[in-house]
Amino acid sequence: MSAVRQVFFIARRDFLQRARSKAFLVSMLIIVLLVAALGPLLALDDETPGPYDVGVVGVEPAGLEASLQSAVRLFDRRAVLHRYGSRAAGEAALQSGDADVLLVDGREVVWLEEPAPQLAAIVTGAVGETERRRVMDELGLSEDDVARLMAPSPLDSTTLREPDPEAEPRRVAAYAGNLVLYISILMFGQFVLMGVMEEKSSRVIELVLSRAQPRHLLAGKVIGVGALGLVQLVVFSVAVLIMLSLSDIADVDLTGLGLRTVATVFGWFLVGYGFFSVLYAALGATISRQEDTQGVAMIPVLFLLPGYFISFVALEDPDAAVAVVGSLVPPLSPLVMPIRSITGGVPVGEVALSVALLLVATYGLIRLGGRIYRGSILRIGARVRLREAWQASQR
Amino acid sequence: MLSLVDLHKRFGDVVALDGAGFDARPGRIVGFLGPNGAGKTTAMRCVLGLVAPDSGEVLWNGSPPTLRHRLRFGYMPEERGLYPRMRIREQLVYFAALSGLSRAAAAVSADEWLQRLSLADRANSKLEELSHGNQQRVQLAASLVHGPELAILDEPFSGLDPLGVDSMAAILRELAAAGAGILFSSHQLDLVEDVCEDVVIIAAGRVVLSGTLDELRNGSGYRYLEVAVGGNEWSPDIRGIEAIVGVTGRRRYVITADTPVDQVMAQAIAAGDVTKFALEPPSLSDLFREAVAR
Repeated sequence: MSAVRQVFFIARRDFLQRARSKAFLVSMLIIVLLVAALGPLLALDDETPGPYDVGVVGVEPAGLEASLQSAVRLFDRRAVLHRYGSRAAGEAALQSGDADVLLVDGREVVWLEEPAPQLAAIVTGAVGETERRRVMDELGLSEDDVARLMAPSPLDSTTLREPDPEAEPRRVAAYAGNLVLYISILMFGQFVLMGVMEEKSSRVIELVLSRAQPRHLLAGKVIGVGALGLVQLVVFSVAVLIMLSLSDIADVDLTGLGLRTVATVFGWFLVGYGFFSVLYAALGATISRQEDTQGVAMIPVLFLLPGYFISFVALEDPDAAVAVVGSLVPPLSPLVMPIRSITGGVPVGEVALSVALLLVATYGLIRLGGRIYRGSILRIGARVRLREAWQASQR
Repeated sequence: MLSLVDLHKRFGDVVALDGAGFDARPGRIVGFLGPNGAGKTTAMRCVLGLVAPDSGEVLWNGSPPTLRHRLRFGYMPEERGLYPRMRIREQLVYFAALSGLSRAAAAVSADEWLQRLSLADRANSKLEELSHGNQQRVQLAASLVHGPELAILDEPFSGLDPLGVDSMAAILRELAAAGAGILFSSHQLDLVEDVCEDVVIIAAGRVVLSGTLDELRNGSGYRYLEVAVGGNEWSPDIRGIEAIVGVTGRRRYVITADTPVDQVMAQAIAAGDVTKFALEPPSLSDLFREAVAR
């Protein structure tokens, strides 16, 4: 009986048992619902905004409609004028949402709540233009002069850099990918912890260890639960990619961006989960009671959270010193490097260094955590102190 | 053959094993007895490789067992436990496969055990849905599903009703008849007497008595005498003769080579109508008490 075969059977058991657990099934359902809900939201965001509804009551400045339309064009929007017989009717239209703003006697603007800055500028500009036209008429200026005053020759405009239509989608992808990574590492790490603890609390551990070495049991569990994590990521990614391929933003290859994000998340899940699952397993081996779970489950979170916070810095400025350092140093790197990779160009060498450092840290943790696991896995009852576990494993 | 040779093991200040050693031969059922804390469980865990002895060694057919050898051992720990939310058939297949059986062979063996323990109709039940007695049966099956050459059973009879005891005893006899070595610990000495052929008694981490049940009985310098006159218990009047009163109030006398049994008999006959005069070899309980008290 080869060790590989044993590890396979152990991994297979943990995979199947966890896959049937309520916690996993509920999480899968939530993912599918989330992605399904996200699709229509993206589609909504893609639509061009509707016209402004401008209500007018009382005296209407001459030429208001023409001025309004020319003012609103500057903002690439449209406006529809609604005329009401009384102020009360106009305010009722504001209340019901039929009008966005109400212009009373060409002198007062009424809003439902906060003034909308863009619309306020449009209406103020349009009313101002009607006023200027009236004054110019009074002064008796020629048509040419009026035209020169009203439409001064436009300024030349030059851009130094082409806008990157992918910049914003990349930020969103990086943010979403990071959130998925954080949740996945946390969730499947805790599955490992629960699995190890349950083997102790149910006392089955002695029977299992009479057949398999602790290190093979540990490896099987980490691999089985990790494989389940990959399955969940695959389902999630496929759902997201299908959704992205259906939505359509001009000039942006959403599917390509989605594939790059998915590949980054997968890669970093493998190495990040590798590190944290061993930490969770070692800690899980020190307890055998449900009520002790909360206490030890917090410890890996303390290692995971700093990376998560630094990832927000990296999202704003991928080249900030703290982001660069965080993306290289384990165990911060699994949550910082993906953000930098997705949002901006990170040299391949830097990514390779980051992965190498994390693998070295994981190897060290396997040596350390493996001993803690070995030293405490057969001790049922009160929580095993780490020093005791270390000493017990030396015997 | 399994041999434990001069095993020593300390846990902090507690001496669990202090030079324990004995053999368990193939095809024989060995009862492993001793007071609580005598070192039975530690010795069994040493055999399974769950505890590493400080010194001494465990030998399987003359050499230290490797993991591959240990996969041919079956183990029922004193602390019972299986996966509570796993279906019992899957559980048996898992443990058989973990011990080296192919998946197909594991499935066949699991089904045989379920059939044999009358649990075939519960094959897809989760362990936690079963009664306590049925969980015990699954536990036994999990220990033996891979057809071990050596079964190490820690208190296999504890918690069983009389019918459960009978079926467990039958299974052990069957296994031994098929050539497997069986080492089991127990506190129920009357039961051990019925089931086992060889006995090892351990006290304070040391083996104080071992051999076949017959050897041990014949080797004891003591006999036990029970006398009734006119249907009532009767006491002889002989200097130095010692009475043992059992928990049920049954009174017996310890007879050594020096005890004048003919005098006792003469006194009894003189006292009236002798309705019982039983001179018996020591029971296992007697041997146990003698050995542990030494």
